[in-house]
Amino acid sequence: MSGTAAGPRERAAADRPRPKLRPERLRELSLVAVIGVSVLVFSQLVDNYLSGSFFNRVTTSMAITAVLAAAQTIVILTRNIDLSVGSIVGVTAYLTGEYLAAHQSTAPLLAVGLAMLLGCALGLVNGTLVAYGRVPSIIVTLGTLAIYRTWLIDHANSRTITADSLPQWLVEFPQRTVLSLGGLDIRLVLAVTVVVIVALQLALGRLRWGRWVYAVGSNPDAARQEGLPTELVTLGAFAACGALSGLAGFMFLSRFGTITVAAGQGLELASVAAAVVGGVSILGGSGTLIGALLGALLIDLLELSLVRVPEISVFWRDAVLGALILLAIAGDFAIGKRLRRFWTSPPRRRSPGTPEREATTDA
Amino acid sequence: MSGLADRVPVLEMAGISKRFDATQALRDVSLTLHPGEVHALVGENGAGKSTLIKIMTGIHPADEGTISVKGEQVTLRSSADAQRHGIAAIYQEPTIYPDLNVAENIFMSHRDQGVMVRWGRMYREAEAILARLDVHLDVRSLASGLSVAAQQAVEIAKAISLDVRVLIMDEPTAALSAHEVTQLFRQVRHLTASGVAVLFISHRLDEVFEIADRVTVLRDGRRISSRLRGEVTPQRAIQEMVGREMSEFFARTEHPRGGLAIRVSGIGRTGAFADVSFEVHQGEVLGLAGLVGAGRTDVALALFGIAPAESGSVELGGRPVVIRSPREALDHGIAYLSEDRRQLGLSLPQSLTANITLATLDRYVTRLRLVDSSAERAVADRFRRRLSIRTPSLEAPVERLSGGNQQKTMLAKWLNAEPTVLILDEPTRGIDVGAKAEVHHIIDELACSGMAIILISSDLPEVLAMSDRILVMREGRQVGMFGRSEATEEGIVTAAMGAA
Repeated sequence: MSGTAAGPRERAAADRPRPKLRPERLRELSLVAVIGVSVLVFSQLVDNYLSGSFFNRVTTSMAITAVLAAAQTIVILTRNIDLSVGSIVGVTAYLTGEYLAAHQSTAPLLAVGLAMLLGCALGLVNGTLVAYGRVPSIIVTLGTLAIYRTWLIDHANSRTITADSLPQWLVEFPQRTVLSLGGLDIRLVLAVTVVVIVALQLALGRLRWGRWVYAVGSNPDAARQEGLPTELVTLGAFAACGALSGLAGFMFLSRFGTITVAAGQGLELASVAAAVVGGVSILGGSGTLIGALLGALLIDLLELSLVRVPEISVFWRDAVLGALILLAIAGDFAIGKRLRRFWTSPPRRRSPGTPEREATTDA
Repeated sequence: MSGLADRVPVLEMAGISKRFDATQALRDVSLTLHPGEVHALVGENGAGKSTLIKIMTGIHPADEGTISVKGEQVTLRSSADAQRHGIAAIYQEPTIYPDLNVAENIFMSHRDQGVMVRWGRMYREAEAILARLDVHLDVRSLASGLSVAAQQAVEIAKAISLDVRVLIMDEPTAALSAHEVTQLFRQVRHLTASGVAVLFISHRLDEVFEIADRVTVLRDGRRISSRLRGEVTPQRAIQEMVGREMSEFFARTEHPRGGLAIRVSGIGRTGAFADVSFEVHQGEVLGLAGLVGAGRTDVALALFGIAPAESGSVELGGRPVVIRSPREALDHGIAYLSEDRRQLGLSLPQSLTANITLATLDRYVTRLRLVDSSAERAVADRFRRRLSIRTPSLEAPVERLSGGNQQKTMLAKWLNAEPTVLILDEPTRGIDVGAKAEVHHIIDELACSGMAIILISSDLPEVLAMSDRILVMREGRQVGMFGRSEATEEGIVTAAMGAA
């Protein structure tokens, strides 16, 4: 309509240097730096620390935590939490193992699909209660955490899935290597994890549904007022979380082979920890799956590295791990702040107003 | 902007009435908005402005009356309905997604996009809209870092992107600096130039007369007048806003003024208020008048130590004191009855007894540091009788009580602390006429018994009826002090609004 002065101003806006790295992206960068520093420090403390086998151990261990951290992140982004992921891992690992023991010729992809479908169904139960029953997610999932686990104990009737009852391809799955770079083998599980997480991150960033996830968690009232389908978004997040937990359950089954009714216990806290360490805001609306992946990597790296430091007794290991995580977050915060200042200072020198405080008359 | 009259009104509200329980919020109100005009809606707190907006945006249904958009009668059942008819509102506190960037905030509610987000196109269109508004913003920066002014610009951009025909702006300037107000007005003019009708609600009459083409005055839920700007003066508007009978109010008994209870000298807190000085004697009621947001509550919060003053000094009974926390304030004999009884004043799920003794629990502990519940109950029962709090039992949760009885419970809580200075912040807001009269009666009794009372109220007739002196605040400053005999509604409103 009234095209007053739009021309020159538009040009002025386009002229402003547009940095590729925005402060919110720096979170991941500083986490990478902290991981690098950890590796350096441990390589000084431990002989033969940097080896191909250690790389494999960390990456296979991390894969499960990372998938669960991603699952948890999707739910946390909507300002909810899913404490039942550990139980979903247990149930899906056990039932998938049971099915494969009975049907040895099942195609691998079908087995994965089965685990994910099962997880998705359990996630839908959570999501329905949270989105439509309007029960706080922490209560719903604390309840289903116990219910899913109890059902599993009842169903298993103290039987254990053992590795020798499973198809050969499944037992060998963790050792499958897609690529060897020098002494480093890239395991299939790691490749799958990274591909899944990158794909989901793209979906969160590119799909309308993904942006709704962020919007609902960032300001639920505004989302409702604007007519976004907030209930469906929440339900979808829990379903996705369940499906990913099912995937993690499958990975758990293939990694350990032996599945008891206690399988996956405690993973819910590991997933929340990895997400938070990875910079996902517990208040929702902010954070990335890549961050959660890095958070999972940092936690598992610290855990497996500590085992190799003989000076630290077994009893103290958890406490040291907790302290290291706190230290890592503090370091990450400090680095992040530095980087942010570094990032914001050049434009500040160029123009009097900082880029955020705009709506000024300059130009 | 000539020939407004011969265009079809974009929104026409006719004969709107709305009742909430005991209060008639709106009575037969009509309002017409033409494309391209800025229509200002003015009135005192409680005149019905907010209710009218909520009806326009589909949040409340009207009891009576019709709403027509572009000549066609419509029913607005939800804010989505209102949006569909091109009606949107921007509130004092913008509703944004702090974790999303500017462009996403503008386009989040668009329903006609595909499944994929086309970031490049979104950024380009967001930039184009902001350029149309003459606003300089990096569309990629997160909304959480924006100033309130910039957030409002984002909301206006959102409205444009949705092809809004009627934009309601409820006190949009309350949180803005003078410079930012100028910016906002320029954005408003860009909007009206493209045919949008803007309904502008503001307490600041100078702004109203700067931007509005038409001014409508509401009072006590009725439309008093609706005229073109040239046909009305600020003085006339004020007269129309306040002209009200005083009969429903409690006439105060005369009581002797005692010694100096509290002296406040030049207190201030950055960003809230500055240079406020007054004294209150025993047995005196000091009224604190002013518009919402003028800083009256901030003064109370400072005296009660919730947000302590950064400058100035306070003397109690002649001795200088420093108050840094509510605990210290209570120790010095200052009590504060919050304006927000649901959030800050009461613990709603707890019993009447628990609420009354909460602030003074130290007194009811036995030697074993356990709470003596029979002593507690005795005190609660005494207050129940004294203030005639109507409750099913002393154990009933206060959330089940009526607003007036909740208010009296809160009063009991602070009276139990036996303060020498009692600050009452909007003590009769949202309670019915009968309970209001009772609260007024209690205030009067307390003053007679020698308590110094600071009464903050947006209800002007109440302030006039209850106070010995009235201090008027505007935008964080003390702008006037009226004695009981010289105080008039018009005088106070003029001072509070800064209209000469």
